Amino acid sequence: MKENVIEIRNLTKSYGKSRGVIDVSLSVKAGDIFGFLGPNGAGKSTTIRSMLGFLKINSGDIKILGMDSVRDHERILKEVGYMPSEAWFYDSMKVGDVIKYAADVRGGDYSKEAEKICERLKLDTGKRIKQLSLGNRKKVSIVCAMQHKPKIFIFDEPTSGLDPLIQKKFFELINEYVDEGATCLLSTHVLSEVDKYCRTAAIMREGRLTMLDTPHIDDETFLSFYEDEATTDSLLKEA
Amino acid sequence: MRSVLKRELIINFKNLMIWSLSVGAMGLACILLYQSMEGDMKEMADAFSNMGAFSDAFGMSTLSIATLKGYFATEIGAVHGLGSGMFAAILAISIISKEEEGHSGEFLFSLPLSRTEILAAKALCIAIMLVAFTVICTAFYAIGFMMLDEAIPEEFYTFMMRQLLMNAEIAGICFGLSSLAGKNRIGLGLGMALMFYAYDVMGRVIPDMKDYLFVGPYSFANASEIFIGEDTPVKAIALAVVVLVLGVSYGFWNYNRRDLAS
Repeated sequence: MKENVIEIRNLTKSYGKSRGVIDVSLSVKAGDIFGFLGPNGAGKSTTIRSMLGFLKINSGDIKILGMDSVRDHERILKEVGYMPSEAWFYDSMKVGDVIKYAADVRGGDYSKEAEKICERLKLDTGKRIKQLSLGNRKKVSIVCAMQHKPKIFIFDEPTSGLDPLIQKKFFELINEYVDEGATCLLSTHVLSEVDKYCRTAAIMREGRLTMLDTPHIDDETFLSFYEDEATTDSLLKEA
Repeated sequence: MRSVLKRELIINFKNLMIWSLSVGAMGLACILLYQSMEGDMKEMADAFSNMGAFSDAFGMSTLSIATLKGYFATEIGAVHGLGSGMFAAILAISIISKEEEGHSGEFLFSLPLSRTEILAAKALCIAIMLVAFTVICTAFYAIGFMMLDEAIPEEFYTFMMRQLLMNAEIAGICFGLSSLAGKNRIGLGLGMALMFYAYDVMGRVIPDMKDYLFVGPYSFANASEIFIGEDTPVKAIALAVVVLVLGVSYGFWNYNRRDLAS
């Protein structure tokens, strides 16, 4: 039986009086591609940002690869490749310099892997960040998240802004890394991505998480999460 | 940490060049102007030294602008104090907040570095920039003295060192403010530098404020006092070091305890 590489227990995070996430528990097994669904503001990014130590959690416990998210923060980040939903870098830097900078901070030479990914995603490393479209900035983000071949990938809405061909190549890359032993947590709005690529899934709504029995849910059940809570509950029972 | 420091130095290099070359060149130009004005300086010095509080505020009652030393202390001292204070404030007030303002924080903080390491690199960058600024300006002023075949006064180096400490104090306060969440605060930084300068000038004009002058960063770096050889203002310097340490410590403490904006 595969071990849990991500384990969240009773995570609660609020922003003053505003709700963030409430009592979220979740586990992801090694080698999984885990789909993390939910409407805007449901708490997906809050959960991810708590895992990475960007947010100070109110209560709960997060373990990644058996390490405590607060105490072992840097050690965890060494093993994680994170792609935020917004791909922002330093405008004046060249793409190649950003990728090298990320590698330098990680203390390794990942130039061959970076070159391979850039080639597959058709990313021009000579351009400056400020010259890039959102899609191309996302590609830079993908390279920075993947070049060091991390044990865990965390992607927050990775395909928004990418054209269909690059989306396909992106998932091909994920599958290759997962075949080599990596694990992937994929936060997305796109049900077809979860249906096609994920092996397990959970859905968030209003700060609470519900594990799904299968990632292959129908459109109606999926869309119900964007509607009121009562409809969702009845549809979930039916599903 | 070395990579972050290197990137910060590269990013801020242009700013350093613009500010240090501008302030340094302005100071050099003022020094060179002295020669052409030397003949008229005696009359001007008499007039300027009898302008009551105004003369006191700018040190012209104690130093004669008819000498290069006095001219440097009253004119270039003010230009350098104001320019370097503004540079220190602008540099430090945006050094942390720019990551959240420019949304690059998620990229930077997803790399395997602690917040303390990132902040230490940024603080070190400020220190290097301030020293470089002082060295460049010192070189400009020294060239000015040499071009006029004048010996560099002993007090000149004390003045530049005190200015460096004054810059560090302003930068320390701004570094602490930069750790607060939200927008870039360049206006606030500039305003603070100008306010500290104005406080010092007012403190020298208004007799009742004299006892509280030591609170301001400009008090111990006043060129006129240094060039007439007044005693080292230990109280003001000690307070500056305390404020500097508190500002930097607050920056580290606050940034380590709070959520990062996306």
